[in-house]
Amino acid sequence: MSRKSSSRPWIEVGRELSSSRAGILTLVSFALPLAIWSIVSYTPFIWHPDIRLELPASRADSTSVYLTGDHIGKDFFADFQEAIRGENDAIASGEVKISRRNNTKQLRQIASLAIAQKWITAEQERDSESLFYIWRDIATGQRESTRPVLSEENLEIARKNWNLLSAAGQNYSNESIPEAPLYKLVPQGRPANPDYLPEPLAVLKSGINAFTEEVEEGEKSMTERTIHSVKIVFSGFLVSCIIGIPLGMLCGSISFFSRLIEPFVDFFRYMPAPTFSTILVAILLANDAPKIALVVLGTVFQMILIIAKTTRLLDHSLLEAAQTLGATQKQLLFKVIGPGILPNLYNDLRILLGWAWTWLVIAELIGVKSGLTEFIETQGRWRNFDQVYPIIILIGLIGYFTDQFLAWLRRPLFPWLGEPVGPKSRAVIACVTYVPNWFQDAVERRQPMYPRK
Amino acid sequence: MSPDNPATKLPDYREQSPIVRERFERFHKRPVVLEVKNLGRVFESSNGPVTALQDINFNIKRREFNCVIGPSGCGKSTLIRILAGLDHPTSGQVLLDGKPVLGPGADRGMVFQGYTLFPWLTVKRNVMFGPMNAGESETEAERNARFWIDMVGLSKFENAYPYQLSGGMKQRTAIARALANQPRILLMDEPFGALDAQTRFQMQSSLLEIWRNVEITILFITHDLEEAVFLSDRILVLDAHPGRVNEMIESPVPRPRSDEQCVHPEFLATKQHIEHLIHPPNSKSDTPLRITRMTDPGDTVF
Repeated sequence: MSRKSSSRPWIEVGRELSSSRAGILTLVSFALPLAIWSIVSYTPFIWHPDIRLELPASRADSTSVYLTGDHIGKDFFADFQEAIRGENDAIASGEVKISRRNNTKQLRQIASLAIAQKWITAEQERDSESLFYIWRDIATGQRESTRPVLSEENLEIARKNWNLLSAAGQNYSNESIPEAPLYKLVPQGRPANPDYLPEPLAVLKSGINAFTEEVEEGEKSMTERTIHSVKIVFSGFLVSCIIGIPLGMLCGSISFFSRLIEPFVDFFRYMPAPTFSTILVAILLANDAPKIALVVLGTVFQMILIIAKTTRLLDHSLLEAAQTLGATQKQLLFKVIGPGILPNLYNDLRILLGWAWTWLVIAELIGVKSGLTEFIETQGRWRNFDQVYPIIILIGLIGYFTDQFLAWLRRPLFPWLGEPVGPKSRAVIACVTYVPNWFQDAVERRQPMYPRK
Repeated sequence: MSPDNPATKLPDYREQSPIVRERFERFHKRPVVLEVKNLGRVFESSNGPVTALQDINFNIKRREFNCVIGPSGCGKSTLIRILAGLDHPTSGQVLLDGKPVLGPGADRGMVFQGYTLFPWLTVKRNVMFGPMNAGESETEAERNARFWIDMVGLSKFENAYPYQLSGGMKQRTAIARALANQPRILLMDEPFGALDAQTRFQMQSSLLEIWRNVEITILFITHDLEEAVFLSDRILVLDAHPGRVNEMIESPVPRPRSDEQCVHPEFLATKQHIEHLIHPPNSKSDTPLRITRMTDPGDTVF
């Protein structure tokens, strides 16, 4: 029987794992999805159906404008490259008519690359002189683009263009823009996943940026948005508790209230809360009131029913015992049912708080959009999904850690359940009970309540 | 004791030694605490009404220790629940000190088989529950609680929560909690039924000791014949289907009680008589089991 726990199999029906193994698996449970996400993002041959443009180009036969970072399909990208090569062939064979104005535009092909390399500033985008020297440097190899690394094909085009540009002299002058048409750079890109699945690092970077970036005047910072969202959820939840807990307990303990309240509540909960949003805005006007009301509407009816059920689950014999000890109706409610259901009520409230979180997004969209949802909405419309994910994950983390914290708190709150206390809980207990313990000690030091024998 | 055939040698259970007879003479002069008059209880079921109790009449004297015993289905539990006020009779009435019982109250303490301690309260707080609800001050209730906890021998555990106690300790707490209310009568519904034999015997002795020293009347439900004979002054034997009073037996076993008395002739005679009342000898319908021999030839245990 003295088998070491390390030699036990990991997978065994109906047996608890040791706490160290349980801890490892908790970490793995988070690491696994992250690993899958990373593999799909950073291994090009797994999926990557798109090309993310690193060097854009404009087609003569299309008005669509593509910019660095845009996603296009692989097939379309190939067509795109062929079309540009065709245009270059036409230039080479002299079929393209001479236009200086067009050449000024072609000079700027290199601008986005030069800006990305920080060779020029964004203001110099239309500065022909700067761009002239960029072309020279690329063609002569004085500057080498690292991101993207220019293809041999494009370097050749750069050299051809430099030949045309330098025809009037090595230095920039009014005559530097040639009459003969410049060649077009062939678009470059690298395989990428669709924009709705950004890479983990990009998401992390956007997330950090979102909280550290200076915001424009009149705009809310991400911290303010977060606080606002949390406030909506917790206010709504608090109001629900104030209404739901007493009603639920009454329904669960007194048949009169159960018959009077529960049938209607049971019916009402099937009407989706969001359908009341316009009505709530009409009644409560803009700002936060209708949003909080929506969270309440979505939570309170479930709360009444769940708490009524929990109340009914209390061991009936405790009520009988209390009655034989002379407890009055009021004492049954406050001295037996109240403390008796408290641990289960606490768990119910944890679940219902999660429930309240699910109403956040809809609540923030009604009336005047606000909080984190407004940001998600705006960025999502612009397809800036790398900005959207950090906020979605943030909402998840707030909910998850609130719940974990409340779960740890359960043991110090209900010592009479005799649940085992783990090291993590002990730390939380120490923090949470420090203040009340200190207070109690201080009081007892001044005035001992009972002389201890 | 001769295990072969004790029946032939046992005296009549009604034979009382002079000391016992004298004690019962004094006993019958005591006032009645609890009177049950023509009590009946009919339950409505899908198969029509079921009579659980029919025309029950008996009374309990002051400071009597009475055990109620009967076969399963005799309505013992229904009876005690009606006495406690947790259930209501469909006919007849229960009088406590001459006043009808209309609902549960602190004047009738109850100890349940399932302990029913409040798990969120310590032993001390459990015992303080009744007096505090009755308006006793915290200090007063606490001092009294300590007294009762000490009496049931749990002083070291006054700050323990119920989950930390053994079954016997839980039941001691429940007894202290009921006694702290100082009820007129203590109703006990198979209180030791869930305990192991050793603990049960200790609890029986402790209970008798408490009963001797505290002004309390006890009505004790059990299905254990020895327990009934060991504890009681009188034993109320009920019939089943419907539950009716069969006999109120005066125990001929002298007090104080000790475990040696379990083999005395008057003890065995009483036990055997109750045994016959509950399981009449002619009604034995035990068909022998039909078991095929499945061991190897010669592989015998006896």
